[in-house]
Amino acid sequence: MTDLLAGFRHRRTLPRTTRPQPLKTVRRTFARVGAALPEQVLLPAAFILVLGLIVHLASILAMPVLAQKSAYQRLLEIAKVNQLTLLPDVTPAGMLLPMSDPAFVTAVCPYDLSARPLRVRVPATQDYTSVSFYTARGVPFYALNDHAAGRVIELDLLSPSQRAALPEDEEITAADRLVVESPAPKGIVLIRAYARYGDLRPQVRRQLEAAGCQPST
Amino acid sequence: MRLRTLTFTLIASVALGLGLTYASVTHLRGMDAVRSGPWTGWPHSGTTQIDPYARAAFARSGELPLVLADGLIFLAETDDTGKPLDGRCDIRISGILPQSRVWTLSLMDETGQLVANEAQRYGFTSNEVVYRPDGGIEMVLSPRAQPGNWLPSGAKAHLKVALRLYDAPFSFSSSSGEGSVLPRIVTERCP
Repeated sequence: MTDLLAGFRHRRTLPRTTRPQPLKTVRRTFARVGAALPEQVLLPAAFILVLGLIVHLASILAMPVLAQKSAYQRLLEIAKVNQLTLLPDVTPAGMLLPMSDPAFVTAVCPYDLSARPLRVRVPATQDYTSVSFYTARGVPFYALNDHAAGRVIELDLLSPSQRAALPEDEEITAADRLVVESPAPKGIVLIRAYARYGDLRPQVRRQLEAAGCQPST
Repeated sequence: MRLRTLTFTLIASVALGLGLTYASVTHLRGMDAVRSGPWTGWPHSGTTQIDPYARAAFARSGELPLVLADGLIFLAETDDTGKPLDGRCDIRISGILPQSRVWTLSLMDETGQLVANEAQRYGFTSNEVVYRPDGGIEMVLSPRAQPGNWLPSGAKAHLKVALRLYDAPFSFSSSSGEGSVLPRIVTERCP
């Protein structure tokens, strides 16, 4: 047994003396790095990385709440709550909502469902018309277009509690009126109508003026 | 001495975190980018599954993203070879578009504003454009007047092209974006 161990030892010690062990070189490099970057630097650097990442994630998540120029805030500057407002045409000088499609006529209705549900009625224009819904913090939650809805897009927007209070066998569900549940009490209804040629815009605008949104009685 | 190190560490980490946030909010439009040649789309940004990065970017810019049930937007800032779109050059956009009820293609400068021109032409719609015999499209972005479907590019140094497909029947899962379904963008001649 001791002979065997001695044999092992003999075999292991031989190469160590002839060529440098890889583990030793790694350890040596680490020692060199440690000398260049003492603990006083390495520890704060790791701390900065981890804390920086936490700050980054927290600020990303907080952005929809803290933003000062979100779409909802921009729209409240020119539009009244629970009232339909047509937006000015987009021009090279600027647009109220960035990345708006210049081929569309847009109307908005910032809503607040805390008192009453909202009733939205949009007569379809001769071309593509769509109604999309966003919460005040910018989460898109529903959209439908004139093909899906028929000649007139008509729907009731309810908060979750109003939806829950809605009796199931009432006429409101029997009628072909659509009920949409908003995940938040505040948000935006965006109504867009396509003008296939530029000179049709005034006509499409007039047709959108006939649309409406108001608290339902 | 210890206090100074601690203060420095805290300031540096806040600066790093906010710097990362600023960079991502100004450059990203969401994490679920679907690429097809030079075009990029973000199908999930138009759904309730919108990711926090897209929400942060839209909250800052004030944009209302196109709802997926309404339509899908693709943006291009480079040509097929990856060269940034230069408004001083002649740039040809050609190919067959995916099926949709209405599509629009509009031109913006790097800040997202429309490119001013006398004709007040900011883009083409599926009803205005003149189609090729095979049903494809062929348009030229150029500062000089061109025959055919010409979009004045106002000699802007950097251009962005937005292609919006409305009421498109395809459902875009993040895996099915490959292939040459979207038109090619080729820079043809630079002065």
